[in-house]
Amino acid sequence: MSAPVPRRAPRARRPVRAVAWIVGAGAGLVVASVLLESVLLRPHPIPPVVSLRLLAHMLSGGALFSNPCAGAALGPAGCSGATFIVLYITLPEVLLALIVGAALGMSGGALQGVFRNPLADPFLLGISSGGTLGAAIVYVYRVGEAQADLYLPAFAFLGSVATGMLIFGISRGRSSSIETVLLSGVAVANLLSAILSLVLLYNPFGAEQLTFWLFGGLALASWTVDGIAFGAVLILGTLLALFGRELNLLQLGPEVAQSSGVDALRVRVTVILLASLTTAVAVAFTGIIGFVGLVSPHIVRRLAGSDYRIVLPGSAAVGALLLLGANDASVLAFPTSYLPLGIFTAFAGVPFFLILLQRQRRSAGMGSA
Amino acid sequence: MTASPPPVAVRLQAVSVTYGARPALHEVSLTVAPGEFVALAGPNGSGKTTLLRAVLGFLDPTHGRVEILGQPVGTLSVRERARRVAWVPQAEQPRDDVPLLDYVLYGRYPHQGLLEGETPEELRLALSALEAVGLGELAGEGLLSISGGERQRATLARALVQSTPILLLDEPTAHLDIAHQLDILGRVRALARDRGVTVIAALHDLNLAARFADRIAVLSRGRLVADGPPAAVLSEELVARVWGISADLHREPRSGVPYLVPHHLLTDGSREGTSPTLGPVHVVGGGGAASPILRALVEEGFTVTAGALHLLDSDTETAEALGLASAIEGPFAPLGAEARERHRVLRRAARAIVVAPFAVGPSNLANLEDLVDSVGTTPTFLIGRPPITDRDFCGGRASEAYADLVRRGAVEVPDLANLWPRLRGALGAPAPSLRTASAGGPHG
Repeated sequence: MSAPVPRRAPRARRPVRAVAWIVGAGAGLVVASVLLESVLLRPHPIPPVVSLRLLAHMLSGGALFSNPCAGAALGPAGCSGATFIVLYITLPEVLLALIVGAALGMSGGALQGVFRNPLADPFLLGISSGGTLGAAIVYVYRVGEAQADLYLPAFAFLGSVATGMLIFGISRGRSSSIETVLLSGVAVANLLSAILSLVLLYNPFGAEQLTFWLFGGLALASWTVDGIAFGAVLILGTLLALFGRELNLLQLGPEVAQSSGVDALRVRVTVILLASLTTAVAVAFTGIIGFVGLVSPHIVRRLAGSDYRIVLPGSAAVGALLLLGANDASVLAFPTSYLPLGIFTAFAGVPFFLILLQRQRRSAGMGSA
Repeated sequence: MTASPPPVAVRLQAVSVTYGARPALHEVSLTVAPGEFVALAGPNGSGKTTLLRAVLGFLDPTHGRVEILGQPVGTLSVRERARRVAWVPQAEQPRDDVPLLDYVLYGRYPHQGLLEGETPEELRLALSALEAVGLGELAGEGLLSISGGERQRATLARALVQSTPILLLDEPTAHLDIAHQLDILGRVRALARDRGVTVIAALHDLNLAARFADRIAVLSRGRLVADGPPAAVLSEELVARVWGISADLHREPRSGVPYLVPHHLLTDGSREGTSPTLGPVHVVGGGGAASPILRALVEEGFTVTAGALHLLDSDTETAEALGLASAIEGPFAPLGAEARERHRVLRRAARAIVVAPFAVGPSNLANLEDLVDSVGTTPTFLIGRPPITDRDFCGGRASEAYADLVRRGAVEVPDLANLWPRLRGALGAPAPSLRTASAGGPHG
């Protein structure tokens, strides 16, 4: 039987177009963001031409234009104030926004898949409460005062991971189901919040700094931080992206997945673990930034369908763009003050989310009619 | 590739499964050969789905073992299992509007390596599977935009591309119209015959099971109560015992396939595990006078017999419709020796006799007169309204026989409502039903 090679279903071309679109938008947004933030920089705005030349020099690996900083290697030492700011503050911030946005988007997409619930988000399991406690300990007890910038993410990350372990330790047992994991997370998060309140009650000085951290921002950005975050998110994200097919089958229910060869419980636990670690990386460097992880997968599903092989990397891409866009908008709206990014995403995210809910309800209504 | 297929595709050895305290399967042993199509039959909750789930390895049997292709299910990895056994569940509830073609391709998962996408070969396989279930046109449609029946067929297509030697189906025809039922089961049978796929399907429709399956395994309350070719397994007695219905068994003249015509529920305790039997109560009647009594007794849970009745009589039709044993004579003829003998046997078996207020003529006068031989030993109740004098068409002989019965100890009750307490008292039956209690009134 020589049936003609069937044409691919229409869905095949859509993601390709979407990926091209996202990559293009991403590159454009990075350049625009750097320019925007340089121009708006007070009290010494950097002319766009200077920023562009710097960027071109960086991106071409030093081939284009001359090294703006003195000396053979790029380094803060020989730079003028303006170039220093663009190279060592603005650009790392822009990149960190992309990395953390990708981490949150990916984590949100994976968790929505595992829990078969479109309202799941990276902070669902409560591991951020562990990160917060870790950060609080650094602030309150002034751990490693001189290198607080290193200790803070380290403690926040350890706090998140320890919380994750605790949750899994509690929920691992004979009757461990996905709901047990979820409920254990809620319980542990409540416990940690109580401990945090207690710590802050006796150490009110730490509370102010912690609040700032809690609302999430890119203040910690540096090339070192970006490098660590990028490496971690790249590895975790790649591993997560491998679970697209398994998540697709899990959408049909754990038993159908099982009968099709997916070890449902193992896959779910692994994906939750990876997503939690990815979230922990984001929390460690930028605190709690809401809504990006919740909204990104929805956008991808609307654009490119619900195939998790596309939803996972797509959510990372959209999350990156969303967070960078939010950062730009926040700079544009409040150029003189440093508004924590988490507050901004929350404000921008709520109406967006409500519109999404409204649309979903309408389409659900049409479906049942 | 092994040279010869293993002799047994699925083997259950004394498998018991308990959910909490409730036993769902009890020492079920079943062996299915490669290429065999076995239908699992049984009422709701009899353990059909549990058995399928045990074969799938979803649950660990409390006792016994399940083997697929010669290996215990528990020792196989999830992936290995999925390469051996495919499953069409009762109802899938998809969340996402996945295109049908993608959905069917999900079935290839256990055959794909890490990072492997679908090959053109797999794509062709998926399309031909969709075509096979009549959904070729809808390959690009979303899973949520098609009907329940189409979704059920799509699920079958997904199971087909899994290319397993064993296929388990849980009510695969539940949402299908009759044409698709025949079509789908025909395709499944062809898979078994032509490609040697082993099929175990839970089927509610016994006639479909008889028509398509090589074997029917009947489960009742977690036990395997019958197992064999449809012609050997299906019987009126089995259907009454397992499902508690009365049905006539016929054979298709051309194929010889048995088929059942169900009539009605039996509430007389012939179904396994229902309340203990009351009776039997024998009802004497004719001309339609016994019909309300027969129905009421059956409804109250009594085992009922009737006699001696004439063919074409409305009481006879009622008795037949209720599936009652009765003594029958030809139409309009006087009761012959044979009918009277059968009537005697039924009366002797009865623990109580109820005489309906029937019109007594020469052809059925024997019904009253013959009661003389049992009235001393079996409690006999005469329904007194309308009075015997109004329905005596034998010139007084019926009234005489009636009076004689009363003299010999028969109890006259005015109507049905007053019958219950007396009848229950006579049978020593405890716990009258609500209906009885409320109707017990004046004579109690």
